[in-house]
Order: sequence, then C-alpha cells, then structure tokens
Amino acid sequence: MRGLYVHIPFCAAKCLYCDFYSVPGRLELLDKYIEAVIVEAHGYPGQSFNTLCIGGGTPSLLGPQNLEKLMTGLRGAFDLSGLREATIEGNPESVTTGFLRVARDCGINRISIGVQSLDDGELKKAGRVHDSPKSIDAIKLTQEAGFDNISADIIVGLPGQTRSSLGHTLEALAGLPLTHLSVYCLSIEEGTPFAACLPDDLPGDDEQVELFGRAAAYLQREGFIHYEISNFALPGRECRHNLNYWRGGEYVGLGAAASSHVDGVRYKNAATLAGYLAHPQGARIEMERLKPEEKLAEEAMLRLRLLQEGVDTNNLATGHGCELVAKLKERLDGQVAQNFLVKKGGCYRLPPSGVMTSNRVLAEVLA
Amino acid sequence: MKNIRNFCIIAHIDHGKSTLADRILEITGLVRKASMEQMLDNMDLERERGITIKAKSVRIPYHSESGEEYILNLIDTPGHVDFNYEVSRSLNACDGAVLLVDATQGVEAQTIANANLALDAGLKIIPVINKIDLPGAMVDDCSLQLYSMLGLRIEDILLVSAKDGTGVPALLEAIVDRVPPPAGSAGEPLKCLIFDSFYDAYRGVIPHIRVFSGCVEPGDKIMLKSTEKIFEVEDVGYFSLGLAQSSALQAGDVGYIVALIRNAGEIHVGDTVVSADHPEVPAIPGFRMSQSMVYCGIYPIVTSDYAKLGAALEKFKLNDSSVVYEKENSAALGYGYRIGFLGMLHMEIALERLKREYEQDIIATMPSVIYKVFCTDGDILMLDNPSKFPAEGRIDHIEEPIIRARIIVPSDYVGPCMELAEAKRSTLVGIEHPDDRRAILIYDLPLAEMITDFYDRLKSVSRGYASMDYKLNGYRAGDLVKVDILVNNGMVDALSYISPRDNAAVKGKALIYKLSKVIPRHLFKIPLQAAIGSQVIARADIYPMRKDVIAKCYGGDITRKRKLLEKQKEGKKKMKMVGFVEVPQEAFLSLMKIEE
Repeated sequence: MRGLYVHIPFCAAKCLYCDFYSVPGRLELLDKYIEAVIVEAHGYPGQSFNTLCIGGGTPSLLGPQNLEKLMTGLRGAFDLSGLREATIEGNPESVTTGFLRVARDCGINRISIGVQSLDDGELKKAGRVHDSPKSIDAIKLTQEAGFDNISADIIVGLPGQTRSSLGHTLEALAGLPLTHLSVYCLSIEEGTPFAACLPDDLPGDDEQVELFGRAAAYLQREGFIHYEISNFALPGRECRHNLNYWRGGEYVGLGAAASSHVDGVRYKNAATLAGYLAHPQGARIEMERLKPEEKLAEEAMLRLRLLQEGVDTNNLATGHGCELVAKLKERLDGQVAQNFLVKKGGCYRLPPSGVMTSNRVLAEVLA
Repeated sequence: MKNIRNFCIIAHIDHGKSTLADRILEITGLVRKASMEQMLDNMDLERERGITIKAKSVRIPYHSESGEEYILNLIDTPGHVDFNYEVSRSLNACDGAVLLVDATQGVEAQTIANANLALDAGLKIIPVINKIDLPGAMVDDCSLQLYSMLGLRIEDILLVSAKDGTGVPALLEAIVDRVPPPAGSAGEPLKCLIFDSFYDAYRGVIPHIRVFSGCVEPGDKIMLKSTEKIFEVEDVGYFSLGLAQSSALQAGDVGYIVALIRNAGEIHVGDTVVSADHPEVPAIPGFRMSQSMVYCGIYPIVTSDYAKLGAALEKFKLNDSSVVYEKENSAALGYGYRIGFLGMLHMEIALERLKREYEQDIIATMPSVIYKVFCTDGDILMLDNPSKFPAEGRIDHIEEPIIRARIIVPSDYVGPCMELAEAKRSTLVGIEHPDDRRAILIYDLPLAEMITDFYDRLKSVSRGYASMDYKLNGYRAGDLVKVDILVNNGMVDALSYISPRDNAAVKGKALIYKLSKVIPRHLFKIPLQAAIGSQVIARADIYPMRKDVIAKCYGGDITRKRKLLEKQKEGKKKMKMVGFVEVPQEAFLSLMKIEE
C-alpha cells in the first residue's frame, strides 16, 4: 500500500481552534498553487499509489476547474491505475453540485465533510463559516451526486457543547447517508485564539471524556465500528488512506506543509506558501531517519491506535531482527501486566476503556 | 610585626560588607576598579543571595598617611546566623573588627550578635555607619543605637559610604591607629589557628591560618592538636588576589599552609596547628567540631545514580567540611544519604550547590532536628531521622532541641511578631527596650519550629523589619508524635516527621493537600494519607486522569506526534518512583516548608 496526499492550505476563514497550516483568503493564488503541486509531482515521476487524499485547509475551495486541473496533472505524473480510494475533504458551504460532479468524473470516490457540529451556537463560537442546515444539505447533495462513501468530522468538547446538544448532532447525523465518522476531542493548541483566550464555557477534560464516551456508545449502537482512537466506520468502510498511516506504510505528500514517509525516512515540506510557490521541488525537508528499533517502536505505537486489529508482533511492516521484536514485546507485556493493554495470541490491543488515556501507554511502548 | 593589622568586617546581612571590602581593595590600590566586582564573594550562589558563605581573606599592603608601610589582613567572615561558630573562629584570628551598620536600617539582631562575639574574642571594635549617601540615612539614630545597645562611644563612630568611597580613607587610618598590632613572638614555639580551608585538586586541603607565635616554613613538621596527626609542610604563603607563595609565615601573619592533606575530614575550623617538635603547646581554647543542627535525607531520582551521588558528596565535603553525611536506606525511596547541616540556610545552599555545581538529580526529604528519645527500658536515643524512631509503645517521652532567639523589631510590629512566636510553642524570656522605637524580644522556642518557616514568616509579619539571631539552648520535653505519610496505601518512610500532638492534624492536612496538588493524576486513584500509628489524621485522593490522548493523528505528520509522546516520557524521568506512583521533585520540595 502506498498513499498520496495533497495539501490544500486555503480556507475561507481560520477556525478559532485550528493549528493546521492554512491561510485564510488568498484564493487568487489557487491557480498558481495547483500548478506548483503538479511541478512538485513531476519530481517523483512514474510512482504508483493505492490511495489518494486531498486534504486541507479546505480543498472544496478548489472549485470544479482547479480540481480537474489537479487530477489531470496527478494522472500525468503518476500511475494511478491501482487507486482504490480517492478522498477529497470539503466544508459544507463550498461542497456544490458542480464541484461534486467534477469530483466524481475525475475519479474521486469518497467525500469527507467538515460538519463539526449541528448546533449553530457551537459552530459560531468555533468560528465556523457555515450553519447546520448547510451541512445537512451538503451531505444530501453528495449522495445525490452518486457518492456512496461519505464521511463527516465532528468535534466533542466545543465551547457551549452539552450532552444534549451533542446528542442532537449525533441523532441528526445518524439519519444521513454516512459511512464513516471522525470524532475528535477538541484540543487547545498553542498559538490559536482558543489558547490565547480560553472560552469560559469550554467543557473540562472530564466532561469531554464523558461526551466522547457517549458519542462512541451511540455510534456503536448505530452499527459503526470504533476502529481507531477517533474514527468510526460501517463495516468495510474504514478510511484506507489513513489506515496506511497507522500501519506504518509509505506515502508521498505534495503541497506546502505536507508530510511524506518514503524508504524509512520522514520528510515534511516547508510550511510557507510563498516559498512553495517559488520552489515546489525544493520544499521537502528531511525530518528524521529512524534507527531500526525506533522504527519498530513507532510502528507499534501507531498500530495500537487501531483498536480492532492492534499490533501483531508476528506481522509487522518493518521486518526487524527478533532481538528488537523481543524487546518491544517486553515493553508491551509490561503494559499488559498493568492491564493497560490486552493480549490475545501475539496481538496487543488498547482496551476500549483505555482509549482516552492512551498517551501514557503509547509513551511506554515507544521506549 | 608591629606594622601588621588583622581585622574583619562584621555586619548584619545586606549592610554593605562586600561593598566596603571592594572599596578598601580599590582605594589601597590592590585592585583596579574595572577588574572588581565584589571580589570576595566568588560563588554564584553567594552573589545571588548577597551573602558570604565561606570566609576568605586578603593581604593588603597599605601606605599610611604618616608615610609608614602596613600590611592589613582583611579576614572575611560569613554573615549568617547558621554560621555562628565559623564567625567566632574567624573573629579569633583578628585583633580588631569593623562593625558596619546600614544608616537606613540601624542596628539589627546580627549586628548585636556579631558585635558580642567580637567583644567576647577581645577585639577592638571600630563602629562604622555605612550608606550615609542615601536619602533615608538616619545617622544620629544609628549612633544612639550603637551607644545604647552596644555601649560604643559616639565619638569613635566613623561615617562612610562604601558605595562612593566617602570616609573609607579615614577608616583605613583608624584601622592602623586603633587596631592593636599582633602580640606573640616569632621566637616562641609555633601556634596557629585554622579559621577556614579550601580544597585544591592537586594540593589537597589547604587550611587558612593565623599565626599567633613561632614561625612555619616548608619542610617543617606540623601537628593538628585535635587529632595529633602530623604533616609535612610543602609550601606556605599569603592571600593576595590568588595565593602568593612566601618563604615563611611568622607570628602575626595570616596565610595558608600546603601539607598534602588529602582528607577534608582532617581539617576542622578552630583547630590549633603546632610544631611536631613542640606537641606540648596548648590548643587555642574554644575549639569544637562543627555541630549539625538540621538533618535531611537525599535520594537520587533514578535509583541507579546512587554511586554517582556518593562520589559527588565526597567531593562536596572537601569544599564544605561542615556537612556530615552517612548512608541511609529507605524502603520507599531506595538508597540515599542522611546529611547534617549547620542550619536551614546552610541546608538550602548545600542542596542547591549539589544540584547545580555537582549536577545531581536529587530529592530531599523534610528537614529534622535531633530528638532525644527516652525509652521505657531506660535507653536514651539521639535520633535525627523520624523513620528510625522506636514503636510508640517503647517511647517514654521525647525531648527536642530549644533555641534562644533574640528578635529585634520596631515597636509597631511587636504585636504581630509576638503572635507569631506564641503560635510556635515559644516561651517569652524577656523584652528589652534599647530605645523608644524598637524592642528586643527574647524567646525560647523549639528548633523544629524555627526550621519550618519561622524566619520567613517573621520577615513577612514585620514587613521585613524584624531581624533575628539564635543559639542552641538545651533540650525540653514536648508532647510529640511521629506522623507517617502513606502514598497509594504504602508508607513512605522517608517522609515521616515529628509533630507536636496538638497541631498534628492541622499540619497533616496541609501537607496532604499540598501533595495532592503536586503529584500528577495517574491512570488509577491514589489515596494520600497522614497517620499517627494506625490512626489516619488526614486524607485526600488524587482522582485518576481521564484525558491524555492524541486525538488527531492523520495528515501524516507522525514525527510531531511521536515527539510529543517522547517528551511526556522524558518528563516522567524527572520523577521519583514511589511504588507505582511517580512523584515529582516539586512534591518533595513543597514538603520542606509547610504553611498551616
């Protein structure tokens, strides 16, 4: 499995909690940016990929023409004949019929929509530019355009969110044709307006965990499988592109601030729009080249995020000496002894009760 | 010899002793202004706290107004109540003392304590009022205080500004005129006083001495009176800005002796050095081993660093022979050391130096005094470690060390200071009124009360105006109990402490509350308890942590996520494992001072 990621760092407006690399406005640069991405793509000629994800930012801001240009460019640079999943992310206000039609025509088969909440008060406080009817419309439009694999993102722990408001959001979403839901706990990231001025109606950590637990339980009753710490899918509808990240697979990232993992080396493109536009092929910076034991530990840490499959020490992507695997097993067994992990055969998993406190366990597994 | 003057400067903390020493070095031409930044205090920590911890001295050639050449030996003295014994030894090396008083502050507790030590040592005192350049200077008031509180004559008082040098030349002349030249003769057998020492990696422990009689030169055999050990002198010399070698030291001189003394434990401040040919020469009276007043346990954060800590302590002891230590073993914290200090300030400085200069990651347990435990079977145990106390049934009664404190306080703050002292199980011995604006409160109180936060609180209730001096004044029976701390249902023996029965519960609650705030939440619930025997007197629970998760792990930036986890793991290494509980250094630190 190899994945291809394209980062679209443009937004209509920056949400108050967001620390991803994106610039508000500047849509006039979209044309040039897509050209730059295609130039960067030609730096890795002839490579083939099984999954594609166009993320952001707000990729739906590309509009029909730029999306078509991007897809044509990517097909010109790479071998995409083996593509099994091609996702584009969008925000409700820019997911239009025209955009969806072009997306479908150029091979996109999965749409991920940033709903975040269906409570207008919560949306406003978070700095979202759409309201809840828009989100519902967008999901319906997507289905009408012929997509049968639709995901929505929601956030628990938004300012003003309560058990009942989250309940309403979930119930409304359950009535829509969704195959996948990402449920993220709001985290207050340095440098964001939320960090600078903590909203006073922000649910505390304990409340957030409570909200998440309720959401997880509800979605499972509705037939969704809790397959990753923050992700739920109907059977067979897990996000293959993301699964590749969590299984320690390889991927190439294009665009400003995009990350890549190739031949055991992790890279990241510089997070500057101007720099990227000037030198698309010079943006890539080597972040780290992991030693075998680090690589192995990292794979275990990532795989443990997968709550259903976990990490099977007999079946690791990074094939390494038994000595290193033995050391890893020792650390994993240490966590099993304290009931922080469960073990079945050679397979270790996070118990559902340990999801919200997994950092400590993952840190122990790392080294 | 008649042209030598051995003197020191004594003062309350912050009254300008170091500045005056700097100005003297500069005006006599020994140091140029630019190269001098408070020459005599050269440890970082001393600079930060503005005090002198280790005494140092310097030989200053002085060309007097009469045209004669003099040698002024300025012997620096430590300026804190913890180091009283060291002060008295330094004073014994002098013939005169400059008593410095800050014109804006007046006579303070340590001014009196140090002046009395100097008078006891038979020193000629030159009273000096400093900081006369400041707008708040109260020269007349200070003069009256020096007269009424110390009996010093007003016409003898000199006025200086150590900062700008005003009056310092006159002070130098006064030192020459008023301080008597050293007595004793070079023809008699050797007799020297050790008043300080330092450690040199190549030449061993180098004692600082004052020669009272006789002469010492390289090749001589010397004997230390306290141990009767004999060493051969390799080298002698004076203190200039560094060490200045000389052919010999004789009666009246102040200098150093190199004799390849490898073990810092051999050299004790106050000991007498005589010639091995004349072992019958009597010791200079007043010698005692430095006495530890306060003890605490120290443990490496990581158990396997125990050997490194031992090596660091060994080196540390070479520089500061007043610390004593022995191995200690705690069921909860593993292997560590029990260390004795001269007082609280000494403890704080020593622990800080171990961390900074010796790079030790350590935790320290609550300080304790030495208790006298009378057992039912007639045994009397002197115990500095509460965890070593016998079972309650075996204890007949406990006595604790008492200090006599002299607190000088402006009349306006007498009330709050008395209130504070009374809350600390004290007995009022007397009140003196040296003038109409100040009072001297004399209290007997347990040393254990003093070492928690008494001094800090005294400063705060008097807005910084009160000053204090104390000395040990015997033992007194107290209604004391041992309080144990349990973390996650396991007793942490090293955290046990002795408390008066009356306020054991209040103090226990304060301590447990503090612990509950500094121990991070874990994945399980952690009960914290304080108990006397099996009776729990305070309890708090640390509820399990509920959220500690990286929710968003997509977009491929794995490096950043992994680093986050690695950082978390790194933070954990700074904590001490107590059973399954990770206890941060701050938790131990916060226990050192408990407000009720």
